[in-house]
Amino acid sequence: MNKTNFWKHLGIAAVIISIAAIFGQIRNWQSQISERLANDATVIEVSYKPIAIKRTQSDTEPEVLVKFRPDVSLDYIKEIAAKNNDYVEDEIESVNNLVAIDDLDNLDAESVAKQYGDMSDLVEYAEPNYEISINQERFTEDYVGYAEIVKEDDKPVTAPNDPMFNEQWALNNDGQGGGKEKAHLDALKAWLKTQGSQDVVVAVLDTGVDYTQQDLVNNMWFRPENVPAYTDDELGTIDDERGFNADENSGDPMDQNGHGTHCSGIIGAEGNNGLGIAGINWKVKIMPLKFLGRGGFGSTKNAIEAINYAIDRKKAGVNIRVINASWGSTQNSKALEDAIRAAGEQGILFVAAAGNNGTDNDKRPHYPSNYNLPNVISVAAMDRNDQLASFSNYGIKTVHIAAPGKEIVSTWLNAGFREASGTSMAAPQVAGVAALILADNPKMKVETLRKKLLNSVDKLDVLEGKVENGGRLNAAKALSE
Amino acid sequence: MNLNKETAAEKARKDLADRLNIEADSIKTVSIEDKEFSDMSLGASVGDEMAAQMISYGYQINLEADDENYEYRGDKYQLRLVDFEGSNYMIESY
Repeated sequence: MNKTNFWKHLGIAAVIISIAAIFGQIRNWQSQISERLANDATVIEVSYKPIAIKRTQSDTEPEVLVKFRPDVSLDYIKEIAAKNNDYVEDEIESVNNLVAIDDLDNLDAESVAKQYGDMSDLVEYAEPNYEISINQERFTEDYVGYAEIVKEDDKPVTAPNDPMFNEQWALNNDGQGGGKEKAHLDALKAWLKTQGSQDVVVAVLDTGVDYTQQDLVNNMWFRPENVPAYTDDELGTIDDERGFNADENSGDPMDQNGHGTHCSGIIGAEGNNGLGIAGINWKVKIMPLKFLGRGGFGSTKNAIEAINYAIDRKKAGVNIRVINASWGSTQNSKALEDAIRAAGEQGILFVAAAGNNGTDNDKRPHYPSNYNLPNVISVAAMDRNDQLASFSNYGIKTVHIAAPGKEIVSTWLNAGFREASGTSMAAPQVAGVAALILADNPKMKVETLRKKLLNSVDKLDVLEGKVENGGRLNAAKALSE
Repeated sequence: MNLNKETAAEKARKDLADRLNIEADSIKTVSIEDKEFSDMSLGASVGDEMAAQMISYGYQINLEADDENYEYRGDKYQLRLVDFEGSNYMIESY
């Protein structure tokens, strides 16, 4: 290299280095600005649009749930999907040939569902699956009251020493708070027979459960050592030590809302431990299945995933006998119905809230409570005066039983307890009594269990023409009859 | 971050302005009222969304534009547009 060339090359190198340095600095500034924007919500301008979001290749949520006919093989399903420039995102193993299909062309969910629905020789049904847009900001929930540890050894064993027990009119109504005496489950009498068993597992399909809540912690399910971790063809292996989170496909079902924790306390807050409240079951195992997010809402597809998980665990040897479903909407899904039917085939009772619109479910159906399946119980809500709560849905053909659901005190987040109302609070009363019956009679079949719950009620005039059996849940009768 | 009524009302006006392609200033806030809702979707579920069936507390924002009324519902976790051209929409969720 001569001298002139040397200086030329040096000059070019200097220019390249300078350009690289300038780009590097620009990237630095971009990164700093992005970070600042992220930390300062007030400067972010976001245009919020309807929630049925368009997906791209990078999105993971499926577009449609498609049930292929029984004779169509999975390989052929994948071939069909590939031809449509789609792919099989997940197989719902508990329902034969039900798959979640993700569209790669960014079409809207309805169009993709129609595309598959039109293949009637191959497809039984196809439903759009909407994903709800969520912002991942955290929140903390207000809560009321703290438990005080009070030991009252002089009380009879059937009256638990839990300090808030006197507020639990649903379990023992002696007229407190202006209520009507004996408008209750008669839990004290039921507990003479059994106070529950940790051999019975109740899955709470909800917002998750605060598994550290001090009144629940001893009744939480843990995956036994002899049961392998959950493995799904598409999701891989998930360490489901504490249950399942279908919202995030993880093994951490921690509740960030409170609703699932409240339902769990009704079913199985530890009884007679000198703390907080008593659950209908003093001893039980609560398995959290999370699919509702921190706002208390979630997608049907994730509910199906969670039911699919429960069925898998049942087959793996976990004694799941009841799923509590304190949620719903007016949107019908055959895929959800099929998943619940599959749970029934595994001996799992599915207890569902009837809904809170104060309307007739015979005329305006609410799901999943309206599915006409042999393992589904739809529950209306009662107040402390044995009146149907004003908000409660009803239906002589489609709502099967009523249970306390207004002003119900139970466990909440942050070591708290609070009162809440809704058919959400009525369903776990039935799920709880179902678990109590199973503690007394572990081998009872799901159909018999359902009949027992529905046939051992307190008949009430106000429920005539409102719910199928015309009665309110009674735990003592259910255990004695 | 949680939504308060004032922030929610502003977001609702902006959302409606975008949808109707009009200036936000031409939208009138008729009222913002505390309200009890039937469930955790504030009685305005979207698509196949499922919601916890617990009575929930929030507020209703009533807006008016071009002599038409529009209803938004919110609480500290969410803001929804109710029955806009026959459908509900999630505007924001925390």
